[in-house]
Amino acid sequence: MRRLLPLLLCLVAPMALAHQGMAMPTEAPLGASAAFDAQGRLWVADAADGHVRLRHSDDLGHTLSAPVAVNPTPEPIYAEGENRPKLAFGPHGELYVSWSQPRAKPWTGYVRFARSLDGGAHFSAPVTVHRDRAEITHRFDALAVDGEGRVVLAWIDKRDQAAAEAAGKPYLGAAVYYTWSDDRGAHFQPERALAQHSCECCRIALAATPEGHVAAFFRAVYGDNIRDHAYALLRTDGGAVQAQRATFSGWHIAGCPHHGPGLAIAADGTRHAVWYEASGKPTIWYGQLQPGHRAAHAQAIAGPGASHADLAVHGAKVWVAWNQVDARGEALMLRRSDDGGLHFGPARRLATANGAVASPQLLLREGRAYVAWNTATGFRLLATEDTP
Amino acid sequence: MKRWLAILLLLPAIATAGSLQPLTPTDVPALLAPPAHGERLIALWALDCAYCEPNLQALARLQQAHPQAIELVTVATDDMGHHDAIEKRLRAAGMAAWPARAYAEAAPERLNYLLDPQWGGETPRVLVIRADSSRQGFSGELTAKQLQALAPKP
Repeated sequence: MRRLLPLLLCLVAPMALAHQGMAMPTEAPLGASAAFDAQGRLWVADAADGHVRLRHSDDLGHTLSAPVAVNPTPEPIYAEGENRPKLAFGPHGELYVSWSQPRAKPWTGYVRFARSLDGGAHFSAPVTVHRDRAEITHRFDALAVDGEGRVVLAWIDKRDQAAAEAAGKPYLGAAVYYTWSDDRGAHFQPERALAQHSCECCRIALAATPEGHVAAFFRAVYGDNIRDHAYALLRTDGGAVQAQRATFSGWHIAGCPHHGPGLAIAADGTRHAVWYEASGKPTIWYGQLQPGHRAAHAQAIAGPGASHADLAVHGAKVWVAWNQVDARGEALMLRRSDDGGLHFGPARRLATANGAVASPQLLLREGRAYVAWNTATGFRLLATEDTP
Repeated sequence: MKRWLAILLLLPAIATAGSLQPLTPTDVPALLAPPAHGERLIALWALDCAYCEPNLQALARLQQAHPQAIELVTVATDDMGHHDAIEKRLRAAGMAAWPARAYAEAAPERLNYLLDPQWGGETPRVLVIRADSSRQGFSGELTAKQLQALAPKP
């Protein structure tokens, strides 16, 4: 019998180890955000080993600095798919970072925030920005800074869904909540509901208006699981907020699209937007939002295999970038309009990747557009035009 | 000692019972091949999808009602690296008894495309592969009417 034991252990141990090995993520997740600061320095926020980390580049992404950990104590961090750490800059060089922290139960999270007032050398202790501490969804955070320097955060929140469920009442989707800070992220206002019945699993797009407000564009639920999009201003003056339906595709799905929209507002106030729907064949649409009405100049940008579009606008130029997959793998695609979004040129392949890729992000620097693309083989910054 | 031995002897069985199998691009043609008779339901689901588990359970009930005509395979679009979480969720949903796969591909969207080029990755997604080679795809939790339509005609 005693002789049998070691033999049995030999049989069992590799199995146990194989299981353990599979449970351990081998690489940093790909959810990352990139942005240029006022000086033109590129910053990249992502997550590794329980830390949100920041790197910067002064040579347009060719080389990245050593990472600085934002949260000193490791914690779980959502950094995949539509969830990724965010970063934004204040008017006086402040660096703001937010992320969503998974809780023990599935589909739950807290929205976390930290700031640096010394150019990214040191960060404040992370805080949870919402008062509600129920173990429910508060995730898919989106971060922006308004014209007055207020730090604005919006996220998907299931407190109203949970309350309805407890009362035995039906409730479709989740809600969007938001908060802001008037003191550079030292304190946050009690959170406010922006809209009921949002999609549960799609990123929220935020953009600044010419008046300096922050606007949100997000997937909402209308009627019986029609998943179109809504537009709303995130008011910080205490006034009533109103989300208005802004797309009318009529895509019915009792499910998770995992596909949030993109928004870029031009200096003249034109709300350029991209969104995804599959009421017919999967399509990425471009349009100019007219909240309450169908978008103007709506046109299909890409079809099946296209996902996770982002856009940027500068003067009459509008760029749209997206991931395009086929049997060979992923490609980063781009279309450009030179007439303010009335017409778009042909799709151009900027890059390809063999492995996994994250959602592309269009960034502007001195009137030029770049695409930040995090891939399994590393972070890439791609110029959209031939650089002089 | 005897109790120890019993536990040790049981471990391999526990580890392999209804065990999750990887789905790689090379496995896709076999998965999509028409069954000899009836239909195969490929139930695509994700850990981060609250609609998926009730959908899996509804498909399981349908399969149990028509065990000869319907074959059910669950496929998690999460990476095989999340093995433990996927198996735990399947067990909690009462889905451990059906063949289960999870994505094992460096570019998961590529696997989406190979399974169904008309699918944008939204979950749940059900692919119906029939013996007559016809295929159909449904996104979102299936309605009672849709489920009924999937049942074999008497």
